[in-house]
Amino acid sequence: MTTEQLITMKDLKTEDPRWCTGCGDYSILVGLRKLLVKYQLEKENTVNISGIGCSGRIPHYLNTYGLHGIHGRAVPLATGLIMTRPELKVFIHSGDGDSLSIGGNHLMHGIHKNLNCVYLLFDNQIYGLTKNQTSPTTAHGHATETQPEGSYLKPINPIRFAIGMGATFVASTAEWLSQHFLDTVDKAFNHNGFSYVHVAQRCPKYNPEAWRHKDSDWMTFLTHEEHGIPIDTKRLPDARLVDHDPTHLESAFKISENVPQVMGLFYKTDTVCYDQEVRARVEATHKKDLSQLLDAYVI
Amino acid sequence: MSTFNTRFELLMDAGNGAQKAGDILIKSLAKQGCYVFIEPIIPAEISPPKRTSYSMSGVVIRTSDAPVTCIGSQSDLMIVEHEILLKRRLEDKEFASHSTVLIDMTDEPKAKDDYQSIMQEARNQSLTVIPIHLTEIAKQNIKLMSGNGRNMFYLGLLSNLYNVPADLLHSIIRQTFRKLSDDKLHLNIEIFNEGAIVANSISLDRLELKGVPKDNQQMLLDGNTAMALGLIDSGIRYFSGYPITPASSIMHTLAKVFPNYGGILHQAEDEIAAIGAAIGSYYGGTPSATATSGPGFSLKQEFIGFAMAAEIPLIVINVQRGGPSTGLPTRTEQSDLFAAAFGSHGDSTKIVLSVSNVQDCFYAPHVARYLTEMLKLPVIIMSDYQTSVSYKVFDRIQSYEIQDAHSIPESILNRFGLSKISEAIQYVKSNQSLPGEPEKMRRITGLNTSEDGKVAYSSESSQRAHEIRNEKMALVRRVYSSVNCIGSESADICIIGWGSSEGTIIEVVEHFKSKDISVAGICLKIVVPLPENITEILSKYQKVVTVETAYGDDANWTPFATLLRAETLLPIEHCVSGATGRPLNPMDIIKQVSQLTEGVAI
Repeated sequence: MTTEQLITMKDLKTEDPRWCTGCGDYSILVGLRKLLVKYQLEKENTVNISGIGCSGRIPHYLNTYGLHGIHGRAVPLATGLIMTRPELKVFIHSGDGDSLSIGGNHLMHGIHKNLNCVYLLFDNQIYGLTKNQTSPTTAHGHATETQPEGSYLKPINPIRFAIGMGATFVASTAEWLSQHFLDTVDKAFNHNGFSYVHVAQRCPKYNPEAWRHKDSDWMTFLTHEEHGIPIDTKRLPDARLVDHDPTHLESAFKISENVPQVMGLFYKTDTVCYDQEVRARVEATHKKDLSQLLDAYVI
Repeated sequence: MSTFNTRFELLMDAGNGAQKAGDILIKSLAKQGCYVFIEPIIPAEISPPKRTSYSMSGVVIRTSDAPVTCIGSQSDLMIVEHEILLKRRLEDKEFASHSTVLIDMTDEPKAKDDYQSIMQEARNQSLTVIPIHLTEIAKQNIKLMSGNGRNMFYLGLLSNLYNVPADLLHSIIRQTFRKLSDDKLHLNIEIFNEGAIVANSISLDRLELKGVPKDNQQMLLDGNTAMALGLIDSGIRYFSGYPITPASSIMHTLAKVFPNYGGILHQAEDEIAAIGAAIGSYYGGTPSATATSGPGFSLKQEFIGFAMAAEIPLIVINVQRGGPSTGLPTRTEQSDLFAAAFGSHGDSTKIVLSVSNVQDCFYAPHVARYLTEMLKLPVIIMSDYQTSVSYKVFDRIQSYEIQDAHSIPESILNRFGLSKISEAIQYVKSNQSLPGEPEKMRRITGLNTSEDGKVAYSSESSQRAHEIRNEKMALVRRVYSSVNCIGSESADICIIGWGSSEGTIIEVVEHFKSKDISVAGICLKIVVPLPENITEILSKYQKVVTVETAYGDDANWTPFATLLRAETLLPIEHCVSGATGRPLNPMDIIKQVSQLTEGVAI
């Protein structure tokens, strides 16, 4: 490979993003570019797919192929692409409302099918682009435009949802912890299957209270010598560390009780991917010549 | 000219094998050189309780030694398993005064009074009612098969009444039941033979259903199977669907056949996911399609608009059923026309094709693929319940093994009234590259974009995108110029319909022709856009009569009539319509058109 062909951070830029100042999506964008540079992913063979919301704009700002779909339905678009073009590297970007509200059914089935892709759930605990409505992960009691006296319900636990659905890779990270984010997405990228990464993401405009990103006293990090994601303890002086074996399903479920305060790799296992199974079965099927197509219907 | 043209039906409780018997019979009729058209009657439920009106299941078979274009109006003969089914079917009024009913008396001891009163009611309507009784051997065999096999008795009756050779039927029964044990097969054939013996004692004029055996190969296909095979032949290699009546069988056929040709079938988690995955596949360059029916079609609308704006090819098949809402899942209607023409929000440009017969089902995917890949506009193929489940025998059709959309032959396009597009096509986005193409990376979105594909909110870019999409429609209009006229173009009256109405229109035009009355017929296979010269075509006639299987009244015009009026500004004042769930009845049209042709006896 010649020097000119090397993919740099600059190569991956397109137009200037249109997010608010201080939006966590900028950090996610930079982290993704770093991952692409690290693995020198071919831009033409990488596809970023998204739904609607602030997260949905990510594909526009990465100089790869991109598909910015409709609200909640990035997974179906990705399904058709992954099943027919398995050589492509597919990343799905989706917000908390996009993933767990309007797109809940698709996410459930994307997980169940173990589609081979990286799924990033950008969780700012609010509807941002539609301007401050309660989302499925909004903290109980938090006031919004639609529930001004405070949200009625306890939030959905996005990690338990994924583990419960049988996800094969479940992790949580925060976009402002750039190295932890990158290491998490890196692990997700190297997993064969639906790699589900919950990303705590700041929304300075509508929900600055959601994540106290300057403090670490509220955070618990899962560590494990063999499978864990490394922690920069200097940057996180007050965080609690818990040793957790991510191959252990029951303890993953137990420890996810305190999500979203818990970060790290919750669970990882290897099983078949629907897309790969379907293709394998088609490939194993005896092939017929197209000229025989109608023969069986002749009387 | 035909020497015979008859329609008969077999009605049984659901699950008792009426359709199986019908399949066996039409295969033998086809081998005898007859043309057949078979319409199954299927309840929306799976196995409703027996001896109820909602358990009615069966087959309506129309056959002739000349081609049969539609299921027709009336049955000359009916076999009914019991009195409740007779009562239910009489309500549909699809019989003539000369018609005969053979009613199985097995259940009579359970319902003596009902049998008497319903048989009397049928006689009051001038029907000939003939009671039939199972023989002891038939009863014994049915008992040995846990109550199954009565359909074979009726098949035996029919074979005798219509002079279909028993040995031919025996061989098709053997072929159909090849997985049964020898014992059971034997029991079935015995029951069949008993039916034939009983028929000997029935005094009815016998019709010999025998045509001229054809030199060329004949095919027996239903609309949905033809559609599935057409998808494969047109080069579609990915299909995603969600179960819905009556579209599901397209998916079932593909599940069996697709892998042999390298195609991938995906059963999605819902209707929206099914269309999303089809778009995802085409986004990656793999030709794809999805199929659904009314309720699913409503759910798919947002993605149809997305594909249109994003300029990703998309083929959606809508097998219409009775609406609105859940409506009539196993009955026919053409009332989704507006949902197809105007569905999805905003100025939503798309092409709406329709199918008129089983052969069209095979070729519609070819045309859809050509148009959607050339224009990057969604193409909707409108079929309906009637076309999807009806079987027809016809000359073997030609397959084309299409690789590239550009190589689709002109003759297929002509079938739908089109010719090839030779003008340059402009797209909203000048870069139309696919993932994998180096140095042409692009981001596709449902947001408005400028020519470079970037999100743009300027008034100029929005107006420009609309103009380009509408110009694509205008382009289709310009190549849509060969509308086929059935009958005489110089007639005063023109009957016009779309999609599955074609067979009925042909029959009506033929009827008038036989009375020396000149009536023209047109059946459009593309309804959006309409042909550029549609106003010119229709202006030639003094009276235009629209026909469609949809609801309409004086205050609420049917969808197709409304569309024609809006597009042509012509006074289209005659509209034959109906939302009964049954196919268009040629007799109804003939009656109404006759009122327009003064002094004409029908």
